Amino acid sequence: MTGGMIGGTRRGTTALPVGALVLVLLPLILMPIAAVFVFALKGGMKEFLAALTAEEAQFALRFSLMIAFLTAAVNAVLGTFAAYVLSKYRFPGRRPLAILVNLPVALPTVVVGTSLLLLWGPIGLLGSMLDPLGLQPMFMPVGVLLAHLFVTFPYMLGAVKPLLDELEATYEEAAYTIGASRWQTFRWVILPALRGGLFSGTLLTFAHSLGEFGATVMVSGNLRLRTQTAPLYIFAQFEAGNLAQANAVAAVLAVLSFAIFFVLLRYSGTPGAQNRKATF
Amino acid sequence: MSIVLDGLVKRYGGLTVVNRVSLEVEEGEMFVLLGASGSGKSTVLRLVAGLIEPDGGSILLRGRDVTRLTPQERGIGFVFQNYSIFRHMSVAENVEFGLKIRKIPSAERARRREELLDQVGLGGLGLRYAHQLSGGQLQRVALARALAYEPSVLLLDEPFGALDVKIRGQLRRTLKELQERLGVTAVLVTHDQEEAFELADRVGLMDRGQLLETGKPETLYSRPRTLFGATFVGSGTVLVGRAREGHVHLGALALPIPAEVEHEENERVRVLIRPEQVLLAPESGGDEDENEEIPSPLGTASGEIVEQSFLGALRRVRVKLPSIPGTRQVSPAVFGEEAFLIDAVIPAEIEVPGTRVRVGLKGWHILAPPRPRLLFSDIGREGSAGAFPLGERLVEDLDAMPALLAVGNDTEQVEALKSALPERAVALGLADAEPRVRRGDPAEEIAAEQIQSLYDFVVLAPGKTQEEEVLETLLKRLSTSLLLLRGAHPSLSRFLICTRVGEQGKDDVRVGGWLARRLGAEVTLLHVAREPGAPPRWVTSHLAGGVSTLKALEVPSRWHIREARTPVEGIVAEAKEGGYDLVVLGRRSPKGTVSRDEDVALKLLKSLDASLLIVPAEE
Amino acid sequence: MRLPRPAGFQGPLTLLAGVSLLVYALWPWLPLPGRPHPPRTIVFYGFSILGEALDQAVLPTFERGWHARTGERVTVVTAFAGSGTITNQLIMGVPADLALVSLELDAERLAAAGVVAPGSWRRLPNAGVVNRTPFILLVRPGNPKGIRDFTDLGRPGVRVVHPDPMTSGGALWGVLAEYGSGFRRGGPEAGFQTLLGVWRNVVAQAASARAARTQFENGFGDVLVTYEQEALADSGSGAGAGTGKPGAGGWEIVYPPSTVQSEHTLVVVDRNVEPGERELVDALVRFLWSDEAQRLFVQHGFRSVSPELNDNPAFGRIDDPFLVRDFGGWDRVRREIVDGIWKEKVMTQVGR
Repeated sequence: MTGGMIGGTRRGTTALPVGALVLVLLPLILMPIAAVFVFALKGGMKEFLAALTAEEAQFALRFSLMIAFLTAAVNAVLGTFAAYVLSKYRFPGRRPLAILVNLPVALPTVVVGTSLLLLWGPIGLLGSMLDPLGLQPMFMPVGVLLAHLFVTFPYMLGAVKPLLDELEATYEEAAYTIGASRWQTFRWVILPALRGGLFSGTLLTFAHSLGEFGATVMVSGNLRLRTQTAPLYIFAQFEAGNLAQANAVAAVLAVLSFAIFFVLLRYSGTPGAQNRKATF
Repeated sequence: MSIVLDGLVKRYGGLTVVNRVSLEVEEGEMFVLLGASGSGKSTVLRLVAGLIEPDGGSILLRGRDVTRLTPQERGIGFVFQNYSIFRHMSVAENVEFGLKIRKIPSAERARRREELLDQVGLGGLGLRYAHQLSGGQLQRVALARALAYEPSVLLLDEPFGALDVKIRGQLRRTLKELQERLGVTAVLVTHDQEEAFELADRVGLMDRGQLLETGKPETLYSRPRTLFGATFVGSGTVLVGRAREGHVHLGALALPIPAEVEHEENERVRVLIRPEQVLLAPESGGDEDENEEIPSPLGTASGEIVEQSFLGALRRVRVKLPSIPGTRQVSPAVFGEEAFLIDAVIPAEIEVPGTRVRVGLKGWHILAPPRPRLLFSDIGREGSAGAFPLGERLVEDLDAMPALLAVGNDTEQVEALKSALPERAVALGLADAEPRVRRGDPAEEIAAEQIQSLYDFVVLAPGKTQEEEVLETLLKRLSTSLLLLRGAHPSLSRFLICTRVGEQGKDDVRVGGWLARRLGAEVTLLHVAREPGAPPRWVTSHLAGGVSTLKALEVPSRWHIREARTPVEGIVAEAKEGGYDLVVLGRRSPKGTVSRDEDVALKLLKSLDASLLIVPAEE
Repeated sequence: MRLPRPAGFQGPLTLLAGVSLLVYALWPWLPLPGRPHPPRTIVFYGFSILGEALDQAVLPTFERGWHARTGERVTVVTAFAGSGTITNQLIMGVPADLALVSLELDAERLAAAGVVAPGSWRRLPNAGVVNRTPFILLVRPGNPKGIRDFTDLGRPGVRVVHPDPMTSGGALWGVLAEYGSGFRRGGPEAGFQTLLGVWRNVVAQAASARAARTQFENGFGDVLVTYEQEALADSGSGAGAGTGKPGAGGWEIVYPPSTVQSEHTLVVVDRNVEPGERELVDALVRFLWSDEAQRLFVQHGFRSVSPELNDNPAFGRIDDPFLVRDFGGWDRVRREIVDGIWKEKVMTQVGR
């Protein structure tokens, strides 16, 4: 029997599962995404652009991006710090804490929104104390930021902690013996070793923040031109029956997500590998 | 002194991983810590570097106490087994890292970097990154990086452990050259004896957290003090014989014991025979003349070759010799074999025909006596801790190996004791003690433990009247010396040996004297006379003999005769007047019912505050 | 100290893309010279169907008028959702200055929660009612099920789309319309039977009247119970109704012989009105009852509180319109009809 024959048999047997997979994926993932673009461009480019340049749509996109940038920046710092503490220090309660910081992934985002309202809202635990002072984080951009920080917190941690876990302690120790302070060691030895994780973690955080809906709808107050993020805008327009408006922004979000995932794939192998959560 | 370590201790949980390590390393010296994995050698190095904090002891680097300083403040260079080269920095940046931290001007940095890269043999590779270099090259970078800022000492943790044998050799030479040229003090940790010998000015041998012995490689090889030194460094045969009249007797063979080697008459003595000290000659069927060709001054024995292996220049031959009564082999370890196995090495070109050879010796080495073993025990029924105020001191002064025994009533208690014992050992100042837990009657179990593990002393800290029953049983059952530590005296420096007259009394003096010598105590020999008047001559001659025995042990001593109605009265009076810390008492064989002698011990326990040492008589 | 710079981003293209996105996001807030000051804002929450009328007609007209009068640019920021949802958000503390709820009951809830002073809306013009719209039935083109009245909704095989009375004020109006039409024809039993018939056939409940319309537009059900205004509003472009045409899908409005006219109540959330905003808020409140604003509402399918302005040719005839006050006001309606009949009798019989 020749190699070619074996190859032929192989092709025959692989066609079936591959075909089945495509058949499953088509209506499950591929076609819905395609539908967004089809509907967005249904009325022609002109209508698409008009829908996209509407003041509210522009605001929603800009607001979403701004929140995503802020969320990514803050969580890059917080997530790295958390990963460092959880990876390098041994203390009682470390494991429960490691589970706790990953909890936002498991928690329904609506629950996150509700819990934030019950904490920071005007009738909430802390909010009721802040309210007399004229401080009111909920239904404000800062409330949206808080929700996004909460929801996306584990992504940075998940991207950075495995790298820290694998980074042998001797690198740090080498820097110490050479004379580098803790900060210098972190800045010049640890941080550079984490840059792949920082990069993918930041992108993932950004992408998730851009698409966040459940928690945002609870805490934003859904004020157009004030706290309405792009997903909220899409939902509001869709509910109002303005499919063209909804789909124009949806298409932009989809393109942004593709771009982010393309970059992730391009620079850090599979996004899935970066997406793994901290292991316990 | 470049490095001085004093009584360094490091514990993890209940486990002592570095146990009172003291060491001095001279300026410019290359000191190698040699030991198996888990011996604590790397921990010592990390303590010196400041990467971990000691639980006790101090570290001086060039006269400066750095014990509590951070690694950054110590100014040391450290080379790791895994190189730990910063991957996102080029070779040049790695080497310059320490200089940049120290804000050295760029030109000076570049000069120093080029110089070092040349010296480690990496000239021109400055722009490479870690992934472009081999393991050997990486370790050269690590070496250059650690030396760049001229550290006071260079510490190397198994630096060649991950490298090929051939690369290792090259790197060793580079390291040795560089270290000598720069005159930097270095401490290197390795498990590889060959590496230790090749590099070291001096070697320190570590086992189970302790620095057993230090010395030049040659000394360590040819004249080790400890069994571990004899067997871990190089190969060889260790036999145990008895010391009699200045010789070790191995069957018919009597090897003279050098004067400087401590030994006790009739005690076990361990003899090390290195393979190159063994002489072999073909056996020619009982022809006495030919056998004379072996230049062995100690005669020969006949054996059978059981194994030969070719080692290149040399050939190793393992010969089986018939067993010798009263002699035991320790190394190489044999199991289920009564015969001895002796290793010899001969030039490889010499073929040994046949399987039977004559074996002779051209040299041997006698090991120092083993460290005494102490069994500390809590004797309270609830396993309550008796205090051992002097225990820690005793262990230190005797360089003893302690064990701590707790006895519980039932399984539950035993489990509780097991988990609590390491912690209690620390509380008692016996952190290094091997924890032992038994179940049953305290006295019986102490005796059983002693029989099982053959301790040199059983140490208790009883109250004045408590646990009398336990002591009674112990006195009956124990066949080893029983030390009852009591009182508030800071040390044991004044001994009162209440010696029995006659053959038995010699043991009292011998054991008491042995202890006195190690503790640096002075001794009074006491005889209690029932009747007034001049003592009989046999009494004075026994006492005088005792004093001269003690003199031979370099223990200052005198003797004294006291009149009293009973021995107990006399001893109590003398002990109180003289302010003695320890009263040594002999007693008769442990068999039989409670005798008068044991009564003496118990009475003394009640009426004295001093510690007591009760020595059994050898039958 | 100069040390190698750890690259945070890989690839200049990615970096460029990231920076451009950032600049785009921040553009309106960048402090560039020549930028006008950000305008003053009022926050206006409205129930779902008000969206187009307010955003595209009434509020821009007000903003223009204010600018013409004072030279100051102001912006009215809006948020629209089901009336119940808005009420809940207001109770949670959203910073609304004004809210237009679809029924007085929600205003009462706000008063109960301390968001507004009790009865404060009754001091506004027309007791706070800004506009009205009757409850009607929207059916598929050609009315294939032959629906003429609420009683027809109880026929087997008719699938009804209805907003959810838990979150939608419109749904409560719907319940009252269904019960009231039967009651006025044949007393309490007829009212109950009509209501039961409708709810037996409800196949979809949406969170708001607007969402219910979107469901219906997407093909759910045979008939939608909704505001006349909803039915008149052109679904496709979102432009104002007033053309008299039914929705772009060709759906037909069926006017029941007897139905309720919903009344939409404005509340001023005084505690959120900063002192400096007071005159602006008051001006907007006054404007909502001006003929100009009322005409705009009529153009967008609402019926004005001033009957002489109701000249929209698309408005159909209702033989026997009634108001909530005919049934004793929302307090009683809620207690006796919504809770007492709909929730406790109808819903238990329907098994939901």
